[in-house]
Amino acid sequence: MSQRKKTKRVSYSRLPGDKSSKFIPYLLLGLISLTVIIVVPAIWNVVLSFTRWRGVGPVRFIGGSNWARLFRDEMFWKSFRNSFWIIVAIVIIPTILGLLISSLLTDVIQKKFGSKIASLIRALYYLPQLLPVAVASIIMGWIFRPDDGAFNALLTKIGLASLQSNWLGSPKSALPSLMAILIWIQLGYPIVIFMSGLQRVDPELYEAAGLDGANWWQKFRVVTLPSIMPELLVVILTATIGALKTFGPVYLLTKGGPGTTTIVPSYYSYNQFFQIHQVGYGAAISTSLTVVIIVFSVVFTIIQGHVEKNMD
Amino acid sequence: MKIIKAIAALSAAALSITALSACGGSNAQEDNSKPDSISFWYYENPASAETADWREAVKRFTKDTGIKVKIETKSFTQIAQNASQFLNSEQAPDVMESNRGNGSAGMLSSMGLLSDLGPYVKKYGWDKVITKADANVAKYDDKGVMDGDKWVGLPTYAEFQRVFYNTDLFAKYNIKVPTTMSEFEDACAKFKAAGITPIAADAGEFGVMWLWWSLVNTKTDQKFIDNWQLYKNDVNWKSEPLTYATNKINEWLDKGYISRNATGLKKEDTNVSFIKGEYPIYQTGTWIESRFNEQIKFNWDGAALPGIKMLQGCTGNILTIPEKAKHKDWAAKLLNYTISKDLQTEIGNAGGVPLNADMKKVTNEKNRKMIKEYLNFSKQGKLAYYPDYPATNLTDAMSSEFQELVNGTKNPQQTLQAMQKAYTTGVQDMGVKDK
Repeated sequence: MSQRKKTKRVSYSRLPGDKSSKFIPYLLLGLISLTVIIVVPAIWNVVLSFTRWRGVGPVRFIGGSNWARLFRDEMFWKSFRNSFWIIVAIVIIPTILGLLISSLLTDVIQKKFGSKIASLIRALYYLPQLLPVAVASIIMGWIFRPDDGAFNALLTKIGLASLQSNWLGSPKSALPSLMAILIWIQLGYPIVIFMSGLQRVDPELYEAAGLDGANWWQKFRVVTLPSIMPELLVVILTATIGALKTFGPVYLLTKGGPGTTTIVPSYYSYNQFFQIHQVGYGAAISTSLTVVIIVFSVVFTIIQGHVEKNMD
Repeated sequence: MKIIKAIAALSAAALSITALSACGGSNAQEDNSKPDSISFWYYENPASAETADWREAVKRFTKDTGIKVKIETKSFTQIAQNASQFLNSEQAPDVMESNRGNGSAGMLSSMGLLSDLGPYVKKYGWDKVITKADANVAKYDDKGVMDGDKWVGLPTYAEFQRVFYNTDLFAKYNIKVPTTMSEFEDACAKFKAAGITPIAADAGEFGVMWLWWSLVNTKTDQKFIDNWQLYKNDVNWKSEPLTYATNKINEWLDKGYISRNATGLKKEDTNVSFIKGEYPIYQTGTWIESRFNEQIKFNWDGAALPGIKMLQGCTGNILTIPEKAKHKDWAAKLLNYTISKDLQTEIGNAGGVPLNADMKKVTNEKNRKMIKEYLNFSKQGKLAYYPDYPATNLTDAMSSEFQELVNGTKNPQQTLQAMQKAYTTGVQDMGVKDK
C-alpha cells in the first residue's frame, strides 16, 4: 500500500495537466513579482497618463488632454517614424545578414577551415553584444567624431577624404550613422542563434541536395531556411521588441539630435519624464509605446504558432 | 474563480505596499541628537577648487565634532533629473549640491523639497558674507523664482563664462589678443585666412548656446535680464540683443569662425581640443581654469567676451539641506565651514572664484585677474546668469535649436521663433508667471 502511494506521488509531479496543487507556491512567487514589478506600475502609468504631474506634489487629473495632445504632436509621430528605421537596423538588416553569414559559416567556412575557425569568427561577430551598450556607444561615438574621429581619419588614409562627414552631428547622416552602429551591435545575436539552429540540421539533407545538383543558394532556400524557421521567428520577435524600446545608443550618441533627427519614443518619453518633469505626458507616450509592443507581440506570437503548427 | 480572487488579493496587497512606502516619507523627523555620520552628495569635478574647499570643510567639521561625513559623488545628470524623486524619499541626504536657477533649485524649492535656511542664515550670519547679486541664486520666492526672500541654498563659489586665448598661437600668427569686439572679429578673420578655425564651440551640448548668451549680453541691460530671468515683463523676441546675437552666430558659421561640425562635438571634445592647442579661442566656464593651469603647456590668457555689458555667470551651484534631511543642524554647521575666509582664500589659489577670500593672500596672478573680473560685475549687480534658467525644458530645447542653426536647417529667425515657443510653453508649464 505504502509503495503504491509513493508511486502515485511521483507521477503527480511529472504529469502535465495534473490537478495537484503542490506547484502553487512556486507560481505564487512569480505572480507576486509580476504584480509588484509589472502590473501595478503599468496600471499606475496608465493612470498617470490622464494627469498633470511634476513628479512630486499634487497629481491633477486632466482627462484625455495628454492623449489629445499626443495625437497632434508632430514630435511623437516623428519618433515612431524613426522607430521604423531603428527596426530596419536592428531587425531586418541583421536578420538577413545573420542568415547569410551563419549559413556561410556553417556550410562553407566550417567545412573548409574547421569548426574552430568558424567559432572564432562567430565570436568576433558576437563581441559587440557582450559589450555593455554604454561602452559600445561611447567607443562608436569616438570613432565617428567629426574632427579627429578614427573613421574620418581612415577615409583620409585610403584617399577618400572627400567622403568625410560630421557623421552623428549632421541631420543628413545622423540617422544612417546611428543605424550602422546599431547593425554592428546587433549582428552577432542572430548569427549565434541561427548557427545553433543549423547544428541540428541533418547533414544528409545537404548531401542529398548536393547530389541532386543544388547550388549553395538553392540549398540555403530549400534546406537551411525552413530548418531554422523557429529560430528566425524568435529573433524577429525579440529584436523588434528591442528596437521599439531602443534608448541607450540614442541617449549616449545623439540625445535625439541634431535637432530632433534621431528622436525615438523611449527617449522622448524619458525627456518628458525626467528632463521637463511632465510626468503625465511622458506616461501617455510610454503607455502608447507599451500598447504598440503588446499588440505586435500578440499578433506575432499568433503567427509564430501557425507557422510552427504547419511545420509540424 | 479562486484564481481571480487570488489575483485580486495580491493586487490589493501590492497596492497597499506601494501606498505604504509612498506614505513613509512624510513621517521623517529631524534628529537633533549627535549622529555618527551625516551624508553629503555633490557632483563637482574632484579636481575643482570648490571640491577642495568642501573636502577641507568636511575634514575640519569631523575633527571638531567627531561626526563623519559620508560623501557620495553623483553626476550632474543624476541630480538634475532625479533630484525630485530621491529628495521626496527616505534616501534624501543631509547636504546636497543643487544646480541653481528657477528650473533647478527654484523648482525643487517650490515643491517643498528644500529646507528654508533662514534660521541658519541668521545664526551664522551668512547674509553678511554672501551679499547683493551673489545671493540672488540662493534665494527663491514661493513659485521658485530666484532673487526671492527665502534662502534655500548656500553659494560657496562663483563661476562665469570667459574667453580663453592661446596666446602662443596669437603670437605665431602675429595677431593681437582682442580687447574689443571688432578686434575679436578681426582676429577670427586672420586665423581663418591662415587656415585655422578660430573658435572652439560644441553644439552637441551647450557651447554655442553659451557663446550666444555672451553675444546677447553685449547689447543687453538689467531690464532685459529681469524680463528673461524673473518674468517681470514679456521678453521682446525681436529686440536687438536677441536678433544681433543669433545673426552673429549665423554669420560666424558662414565665415567659418565656428565649424559646422560643432553639432558632432560635446563639451569635453572642445575642452580637450583647446588643451591640445588646436584652437586659438575658446569660451567656457571658469570651472575649467584649474584644469587649464594644470594641463595646458602653452601660454594662455582669459577674459570675458569683449564688449559685454552683463556677465554670463553668477555664484556657483549651491549647497542645500533637503527638507527630509535627518540632521539639519549638523548639516548647517558643515555648510558654515565652506565659506570661512581661509578656505575661501584657498579656492582663489586653486583656480576658482571665491566669495569671501582674503585677496591679499591669493598669490596666483592669473587667478587674481579672474576673481577681480567677477567681483567687478557682481558688485555692480551686472550678472546675466544663464539663458536656460527660466524653465526646466530650456536646456535641451535651446541646445536642440542651436544644433539646427549650426547645421543650417534653420535660419536665425526660425531659430528664435522656435526658442520663443519653447521659452513660452516652458515658463507656462512652470507656473511661475503671474499673467
